[in-house]
Amino acid sequence: MTFLARRLLLAIPTLAGVLIAVFLLLYVAPGDPVQQMVGERADSVTIARLRAELKLDESLPVQFASYAGGVLRGDLGRSYITGRPITQDIRERFPKTAQLALAAMTIAIVLGIGIGVLAALKPAGAFDKLLMGATYLGISFPVFWVGLLLILLFALTLKWLPPSGYGGGLVLILPALTLGSRSIAYLARVTRSSMLDAMSSDHVRTARAKGLSNASVVLRHGLRTALIPVVTVLGLDVGSYLTGSILTETVFGWPGLGRYVVNAIARRDLPAIQGTVLFLSVVFVLVNLLTDMAYKRSDPRVS
Amino acid sequence: MFRFRAHTVTLVALTVLTACGGSDTTPKRGAIVDSRDTYDPRSFDPALSTDVPTGRAVGYVFEGLTRFSPDAQVEPALASSWTVSPDGRIWRFTLRQNVKFHDGSAFTAQHVVSSFTRVLDPKTRGGRGWPLFPIAGANDFAAGKAASISGLKVENDSIVVVTLTEPFAIFPKLLAMPVASIVPTTIGADFGEKPIGTGPWKMVEWKHDDFVRFIRNETYWGTKPLEDSLVARIIPEPSTAVAEFESGNVDILYIPEAETRQWEQTEEKKALLQAAPVLRLWYVALNTTRGPLADVRVRRAINHAIDTRAILTQLLGGRGRLAAGIIPPALDGSDTTRAPYAHDVAKAKQLLTEAGFPGGLTVKLWCSQDATQSRVAQAIQGYLKEAGITAELVQRESASMREAARKGDADLVLKDWYADYPDAENFLYPLLHSANAGVGGNVSFFRNAAFDSVVTASRRETDITKRTALYVRADSMAFAQAPMVFLWFYNELYAVQPWLKNWSAPTIFNGQRMIGARIDHSTP
Repeated sequence: MTFLARRLLLAIPTLAGVLIAVFLLLYVAPGDPVQQMVGERADSVTIARLRAELKLDESLPVQFASYAGGVLRGDLGRSYITGRPITQDIRERFPKTAQLALAAMTIAIVLGIGIGVLAALKPAGAFDKLLMGATYLGISFPVFWVGLLLILLFALTLKWLPPSGYGGGLVLILPALTLGSRSIAYLARVTRSSMLDAMSSDHVRTARAKGLSNASVVLRHGLRTALIPVVTVLGLDVGSYLTGSILTETVFGWPGLGRYVVNAIARRDLPAIQGTVLFLSVVFVLVNLLTDMAYKRSDPRVS
Repeated sequence: MFRFRAHTVTLVALTVLTACGGSDTTPKRGAIVDSRDTYDPRSFDPALSTDVPTGRAVGYVFEGLTRFSPDAQVEPALASSWTVSPDGRIWRFTLRQNVKFHDGSAFTAQHVVSSFTRVLDPKTRGGRGWPLFPIAGANDFAAGKAASISGLKVENDSIVVVTLTEPFAIFPKLLAMPVASIVPTTIGADFGEKPIGTGPWKMVEWKHDDFVRFIRNETYWGTKPLEDSLVARIIPEPSTAVAEFESGNVDILYIPEAETRQWEQTEEKKALLQAAPVLRLWYVALNTTRGPLADVRVRRAINHAIDTRAILTQLLGGRGRLAAGIIPPALDGSDTTRAPYAHDVAKAKQLLTEAGFPGGLTVKLWCSQDATQSRVAQAIQGYLKEAGITAELVQRESASMREAARKGDADLVLKDWYADYPDAENFLYPLLHSANAGVGGNVSFFRNAAFDSVVTASRRETDITKRTALYVRADSMAFAQAPMVFLWFYNELYAVQPWLKNWSAPTIFNGQRMIGARIDHSTP
């Protein structure tokens, strides 16, 4: 059996587990979805009718079978609150979250690796200390706080960028920087230490001995080796982009999936929560699969 | 009316953000931009309207037979006039002629019947049909026991006759609620996304969680909006909305409680503020069926123990008026001469002793995770402690809190009530009448036969003077029985850009339809 097929087969129990876990969690969580549907003033007859229509009074296995059956047919149901199909909501919002995450990742890769390499050139030098101090702050600052500070600086004081909203170009910069901030710091630290290891290895010494230029030694021989752990970190970090998007999207009013799921939780919109979590799990599994395949390609020992 | 807020960020962040910058010069845009919505409207389908952003949006696109003015007076809308039979049961609505829906079709008497029928139809799944329940036969139809609503009759093209089960003098006010909006006969599956109403604005673009854009309805029967377009931006984070306002990108901003002082302190900012005494009561429901709380002396003791004035001043920036009853001062039936329970720890202790709790007692105080609510709950906890009452805080997100309160599992619940329609009945009946115990809104589970009979009589009373007198009486009975801690009537506070003219903050959520508001491009 090929590597890919085996990994895909393994994804099935993972996703089934997610489906069951989310369903059970929401089943035991307090807060009746129907009470959220009807608002502050209601009557028990209407509530009973809606519960019956939504099959909320059925036994747990019946409810689960009904939901799982829908999922298998590709139907995630309709939102209790808005009445819209969940698949449509996800289709509208996920590209926006993906756009933000990709932009954030690009910024994180360029800045994170760049800072890491620069810091590793003269370890323990003033520049290294400054950059590492900055990355320490980057890891420690809460995402929404970074977001608000960026709005304050770039939108209100300098007036270079819009404070919030959705779009490409200028509007994207602040949210992407915010979402990527933790990753920039993390990648910089990993790159730095990985570079330090690489630069002290035999093949780099050999490269220097050959009389190659400094840039060539650092980039072609040092960085290339150093990148393997960096790719690992990058792959593991995808999850943090998905969770980080919740706060970033809230601060910047970005209409993505993170905000969608937060609102759904607050309103006990069960189909929306289940659908989104399931969808994000699929994305997560796929990204991990891609990371594994990238390893296999770069290192034949992985099987 | 149900409201929930997304994450509220720290006070520090708010302070930092608002500390800088003033508004820019008048924007070039020809649209009014509102930033008050913190989450996406549910749908434009009036049958699903249960919350403020949805109700506001529905109010731009749709109209009912009646509507509210910004200061919460009931006005004719699709009904140009109405009369009521002497017994208060039979209402004849004369309909406005030559009214067109946004798709060009004509509004007829039949639409009134079909719209109300649709809301009450079990298949609509709205769950918000109660404003129409007073109509004879509505309950049977909603329960699937009747094929049509017996109380609805089209007399001719211009007259609809609505018969109620029992006299209900304020019925026209209920018809101004979003759920009673008039909709076309044929409703497509995407009606919630592509609404067709008769209102002053047409919805043309809806980017979920981002903005909704409306344009002026050029064929509107009444006074048309002055501006070409209106944008409701959806900004979940209050500090971000403040930044958008400071950048001049939005015209109307809701000021969070914690920031009130900040805005009132600088003259430049203070000039932009507009306060509106909204019909909103903050209170702590005391579950009168639980242990010591069944004793009125204990409930009064709790009222005396809490320094509501200090909490209002310190934690809500003084935005409100202390409550001595449950009817807001803006409504008929409010007795402004009644004094609130005085903060008097000795008296509280004495009442507890009389009730048989000389050593104090322990209760659970439920509150939501909203930042302001949780600070208020902590303050209340502190005051109760001084009087010997140990209040354990139970902080849950609003869905869980609501469920516990409705089931009667909570001793004390910190809540607020936002009026659906401007009438004292909207406070007395849902909050304290025994018919609404639990899910109906009465989470004090207050059951007082004398109070019930006065409220029931007031609902049936057709004479406004007599009705008001009954309201005053019921309010005073409620105050004496103390089924809640009477906190305050809340004032909303908005900042409005200097270039936005003729906009006033509405007393009721759907009272401001942005007809006369305009952007003055000559503002420096």
